[in-house]
Amino acid sequence: MRFDQRIRMIYGKELVDILRDHRTLIAMIVVPIVLYPLLMLGSVQAVSYQAAAMEEEVLIVGVVNEAQRGSLLNLIEADRTALEQRRTTLDSESEEAKGLPKPIDPDKLHVEVVGSVEDIDRRVRERSIHIGVVFDRDMLVNAPDMQNHVDLRHDKEDVRSDAAERRLGEMIDRVRDQTNTERKAQARLPATFDEPFVVTATDLSSPPSILGQVLPLILVLMTITGAIYPAIDLTAGERERGTLESLMVCPIPVIDLIVGKFLVVTTVAIMGAALNLGSVTATVYFGGFSKMLASGGGRVPVGTMVFILLSLIPFAVLMSAIMIAVCSFARTFKEAQNYVTPVILAVLIPGGIAALPATRLEGVMLVMPVGNMVLLARDLLLGANVPAAAVVMVLLSTTLYAGAAVAIAASVFGRESVVFCDAASLGSMFQRRLIRPSERPSVSMVLLFVALLFPVWFFIQGALSPGAGEDASALLYAAGWLMPLLFVVAPVGVLAYWKVRVGRSLALRAPAWRYVVAAILIGLSAWAPAYEIDVLQQRLMGVPEALVQSSEAMAATLKAMPLVHVLVVIAVVPAVCEELLFRGFLLGGVGGEVGRWGGIIVSAAVFGVFHFYLFRFVVTTGLGIVMAYLCWQSRSIVPGMIVHVLHNGLGVLSVVRQDWVLRFGLSGESESSDWAHLPPATLVCGVGLFVIGLALARHRSATGVEYAMRAIAET
Amino acid sequence: MRAMDIVVADKLVKTFPTTDGGEKRAVDGLSFVVGEGRIYGLLGPNGAGKTTTLRLLSGLMTPTSGTATLAGYDVATQPEQVKRVLGFLTANTGLYQRLSARELLVYFAQLHGMDRSHAEQRAMFLIQRLGIESFAGLRCGALSTGQKQRVSIARALVADPPILIMDEPTLGLDVLSNRVILEFIVRERDAGKTIILSTHYLDEAETMCDKIGLLHDGRLVAEGDLQTLREMSGEERLSNIFLKLIRADESVGVLPV
Repeated sequence: MRFDQRIRMIYGKELVDILRDHRTLIAMIVVPIVLYPLLMLGSVQAVSYQAAAMEEEVLIVGVVNEAQRGSLLNLIEADRTALEQRRTTLDSESEEAKGLPKPIDPDKLHVEVVGSVEDIDRRVRERSIHIGVVFDRDMLVNAPDMQNHVDLRHDKEDVRSDAAERRLGEMIDRVRDQTNTERKAQARLPATFDEPFVVTATDLSSPPSILGQVLPLILVLMTITGAIYPAIDLTAGERERGTLESLMVCPIPVIDLIVGKFLVVTTVAIMGAALNLGSVTATVYFGGFSKMLASGGGRVPVGTMVFILLSLIPFAVLMSAIMIAVCSFARTFKEAQNYVTPVILAVLIPGGIAALPATRLEGVMLVMPVGNMVLLARDLLLGANVPAAAVVMVLLSTTLYAGAAVAIAASVFGRESVVFCDAASLGSMFQRRLIRPSERPSVSMVLLFVALLFPVWFFIQGALSPGAGEDASALLYAAGWLMPLLFVVAPVGVLAYWKVRVGRSLALRAPAWRYVVAAILIGLSAWAPAYEIDVLQQRLMGVPEALVQSSEAMAATLKAMPLVHVLVVIAVVPAVCEELLFRGFLLGGVGGEVGRWGGIIVSAAVFGVFHFYLFRFVVTTGLGIVMAYLCWQSRSIVPGMIVHVLHNGLGVLSVVRQDWVLRFGLSGESESSDWAHLPPATLVCGVGLFVIGLALARHRSATGVEYAMRAIAET
Repeated sequence: MRAMDIVVADKLVKTFPTTDGGEKRAVDGLSFVVGEGRIYGLLGPNGAGKTTTLRLLSGLMTPTSGTATLAGYDVATQPEQVKRVLGFLTANTGLYQRLSARELLVYFAQLHGMDRSHAEQRAMFLIQRLGIESFAGLRCGALSTGQKQRVSIARALVADPPILIMDEPTLGLDVLSNRVILEFIVRERDAGKTIILSTHYLDEAETMCDKIGLLHDGRLVAEGDLQTLREMSGEERLSNIFLKLIRADESVGVLPV
């Protein structure tokens, strides 16, 4: 059976199994379909009920003496009379009439003479009165040259006191406005007399803006919730029910089982998100909540909903992978739940940062796990202009993280210490004395390492990159120091700790001569096809302005630096370090598990992603494939290093010594055109050498054992 | 190894780290061979290392030292091949509660590389062979202990492996189910399969096993057919032989040397 057939078979069984579980169905269907409408309707009902109930309650006001009691009642009466008069002048069906405030009902008002201000304060704090009203003089005066001071003494923490302050404050404002209007009329002053400014604020947000902020958060939480139960059931549940042992004695690779399970968890998470989204949409549409969600009462188009769902898919993939990886460590349901809780909190932190309105999808946020997905969803939903390169970067980095998580799950699931909790503790997996020596690193080890290194490297590049007009040489020198540490020392340390043979797994051995010749030919000629691909890309999609600017700044920096330094930091150091990381460590780990082409493609794609610029992705990945192929065929890291150093070296020289390029007639047909095709003769020579180089490497180098066997056979 | 020995364990050792930083030897230098078409019984008190030994033989655990081969394949270095010649019945076998017995058997047949129609045929055959017809369509969660055990045995046999390893196959079964399963094991042996089983029930071992290994503290304290064990211990009944040999082993353990 082929890999895809096995995956389909496992997927089918696991999906049937999980969908037959009542708990899944309840979490996936009943909760969104029944709970959401109930929650939304219920909470709105509760709020309006409480507001209505407060209106019905008797308002208890404290005053200092009988005279002030009279003043307050006069004010209330004046307000009531004015409102009644307004009401009689308006058509009772008009919007204005409906919008008129309600006067304070004397039957629902109790004004109590309390005594001193101190007594009022004490009574408010005791909550035996709602509010105290204190006038600065007992009798109110109505004269243009005098003011009345009213102090509303209330407790903002007390809901009733707060409401009383609002009602009385609004009432006094109305009386003041009424008095003003009357005074201006008497003095024949225009209504605008005391209003030199009128301020209005116009909200320009598009209709679904509130929806755009609220929904992604709800759906992100629901997607996580949807992934949790199946992830636990299909991993720790397998162990707890005793089915894991019988599964592990089947002759099927663990990675197949994990991929099948991971796809089921992803499916359930997406189905859950879709049902949640559908339920929220239906409640909003049919429950009369459109006004609450979309400002202006407009309906949110169905297309937007589909868009939200699509943007949730990569998130569901990543979360399912993380959940499967975490739950694979657990031996019981309970243990899995304990592991999942901190993971959810950890996921919510980048999600929360991304939800802040000021956060933008740029810089390190582009590669922040989870955070970048939330930001992307938000920006797409709000209709912001998201560059294609940013979308690709988010998707590629998410794929890298998800891949690493699935690989970790595969290496943990079915391990002795997980299958048999009586046999060994989980910690034993990391105790060096219990680790068995091995020939090559595992897929999970190498993928986890590069997944952790990626954001670090991205961040370092961002932190070191010079601003406009600054010298870029500091970045180059710093990268020249940091690269050996991060790309070589760190992975070698990991290999040594896990007792993996460093020389073997990094392919540190001398290659046969024909691979050296192949590497020299390819290294000297690869620029020709690479350049042509660049030209094609430029014709198809243009060159990003940022890349042009950074390339120009870099060229200026390189010209100012000593040539030897340039060659070391651009050609030699990356050639050695990147080859050891991508063609040694990564290709060795992945290729050893999934075979030649799987290893070559994964290592080349990761190599491409590490170069950040989308425009460079095709060429970098293509070169990554060629160098990985050479490494695999020769079983040595050296040919890749030769290609890398020659290719980068030529690239640097073409920038620093443009006069040489022109002298050899290697550039485009005319000096003025930056993106012209190569002269045909140059192109044919370049591609020809490149193909000859590849052809030389088409036979794979024999291993030491194979040599010995051949020698024995010959004798 | 003689030509007939299909299972060979050679100085098998399995140690587990303990919480105090030390280690516990669950299996301690175990060596034995099982001839093709024989039933080998591993007997021993709780904690003797029976289950660990069976897990080592099935490739579920890797030995700390020593080797074991099944049909010539090394359990530590060729686990995939070992899994192809092996049917393993675990002690606390769990079944997928939400799948029917038939669905479960088809799934496991497919996990062994059979295509769908072949897998369905094989499942049908085992359903008839083990008398599962009446409950083959029921979900496993609804089956009785005896019914579950029959489905588990069918699952272990799904790839028609030449070697069967069974950990406590009759644990917790009533007399009737017990009888069905024991008869089935003998029939499989007669059909040429090699069976290694561990059990607590000495009378079962007495009637069924061609060879018995007595395990205590991870070591084999006695081995042979029933007649050899009788001669060794001077006892007639296996239960008495068992007690005598275990006690002899324990007393050796405390004697000054």
